[in-house]
Amino acid sequence: MLLGFQAQAHEMTPAYPKFNYSYIEGVSVTKMFLFNRRDDVSYYQIGVFTLDWKEIPFASTSKLIKVKHAKKYPFDVYIRNSDLDRVGYICTISKVFKGEEQRALITSRICSKIE
Amino acid sequence: MIKRITPLIFLLSTSYAWAVNSPITGTVQASCSIVTTTPGQYGVPNIWKLSTAAADGGQDAVIKTQIGTADKYKVKITHPNSFSSSPSLSDTLTWTGSSVYTSGSVAGMSAYNGAKVVVGNQTTFDMTLAGTTFFTVASTASYGYNRAFPSGSYTALILAECIAK
Repeated sequence: MLLGFQAQAHEMTPAYPKFNYSYIEGVSVTKMFLFNRRDDVSYYQIGVFTLDWKEIPFASTSKLIKVKHAKKYPFDVYIRNSDLDRVGYICTISKVFKGEEQRALITSRICSKIE
Repeated sequence: MIKRITPLIFLLSTSYAWAVNSPITGTVQASCSIVTTTPGQYGVPNIWKLSTAAADGGQDAVIKTQIGTADKYKVKITHPNSFSSSPSLSDTLTWTGSSVYTSGSVAGMSAYNGAKVVVGNQTTFDMTLAGTTFFTVASTASYGYNRAFPSGSYTALILAECIAK
């Protein structure tokens, strides 16, 4: 029963990421890890927001990432240094595609906070 | 003399080897998992109503959260106020719903319902305790003034969020 529950989990760490200088001048980076234990979801969208939920431009390998079931997916988030003071949250949200055979009615979103 | 010293050195060296510790290290971080335990299912108690209530032939959604460290996250649950996919609808929809704490691994979690904040269709729970928590989400949609829902498939999404504090 417990394993059955675990098969549907969305998790992201760290809860409080810190940005470091990247190899690109004027840009900082932090590393995040997404765990996809939802067997009904394969895609997650990354978002970066201010504390009042305004979007902040960022770069990553892809903003829409495909994560196989039961896999841990590391990803980097790059932010301009000029935006560092405004960054409040890094989030991932599960995506359900129209037309996909999908019975799950629950979208999950996890947000880490920049302190 | 040498014959006496050699076994002594051997014994000392093996004693030393037994004393070596092999550390296992680990780091505990604040974390939150959202577990979609039971996806909701709409029942059709009459032609103008879709409902997840068991009494209406449906099934409420159940969401489990696992909080690794106390007082680090808020959980926000948004019950639907629109369909993400449905047949074409020409009349208005009336939505109702609720998100309630149903059980948890720590007795003190029973206070979550009293402390929750409801704004519109979004309910916020302050996760002040570490552990496992179950929430039940109900949803009802009524069509027009007792108009019949067109035949077809209907999907509405519940949003469950873990937001670091």
